[in-house]
Amino acid sequence: MDVPPISPLLFYRDARAALDFLQRAFGFETRMVVDDGQGGVIHSESVFLGHVVMVCGPPPGTYASPLDLGGRRTGSVHVQVPDGLDALFEQARAAGATIEREPADQPYGDRVFTCLDPEGHSWSFGQTLKALSAEEMAAATGRDIKQGL
Amino acid sequence: MDAKLGFQPSVIYQDPKAAMRWLAAAFGFETAIYIEGDDGGFVHCQMRLGESLISIGEEWSDDFKSPLKLDGKNTQLTSIQIDSDVDAHCERARAAGAVITAEPETQFYGDRTYRCRDPEGHHWSIGQTVEDVSREAAEARVPGVKITGWL
Repeated sequence: MDVPPISPLLFYRDARAALDFLQRAFGFETRMVVDDGQGGVIHSESVFLGHVVMVCGPPPGTYASPLDLGGRRTGSVHVQVPDGLDALFEQARAAGATIEREPADQPYGDRVFTCLDPEGHSWSFGQTLKALSAEEMAAATGRDIKQGL
Repeated sequence: MDAKLGFQPSVIYQDPKAAMRWLAAAFGFETAIYIEGDDGGFVHCQMRLGESLISIGEEWSDDFKSPLKLDGKNTQLTSIQIDSDVDAHCERARAAGAVITAEPETQFYGDRTYRCRDPEGHHWSIGQTVEDVSREAAEARVPGVKITGWL
């Protein structure tokens, strides 16, 4: 099975609705769903740019949807795209994503937007406009940057 | 696959610098980029494992919290797929202080996996494919489960 080294797994109250939203909003293609036979999803894989994101729910045991935690979350997912960031933003907004930050150029050379999905998971999307060296990035951001440690 | 494209999970820690050290010791993550403020405080970090990246984040707003603040709850976990000895990987993580929540076991879909909890309570799942299993064979092993799509 072709799975890259790192894949995020997100927990939802309604995993089927989440898979539908992620497809409409971001264009993720669901390639596998393992159904528990009772309306729940115990495993799924959706593909985007050759990478995999997993969605399951309702959350078992110590796992939770942000909906269960007053909107709080223990992580987020960043998605780096090669092009088409602004079109993807419009697609996400049209699908009902809650926009947190509209697309804007960042001092480190990327254009980025962030949004929330219907259960409150946070997604950021970035596209590199200008690849900066560590020195250029440090000068642009005023920060001390260590790269390739 | 381009390492710089695609999904990069971000994991939120109360003590991100300690997390960077722990993830290097337990799982072999390497620091790809680390940004700190003039005061030596943590600003941002990306760590690399093979061709994949994760971000280490701090609790930068009320909505982004370590599991330490949420009664151990996790809204996401990070899955790591390796191509060599998952049992040895587990022993390395255990030696570094990981709490093993599921010991290495071969799953119905042909991966041998274990799960563990890091010092702040984030969950990690590590797997290695050890057997090529068809969809029909996988379904037959778990009564009641229905699988759509398979690779």
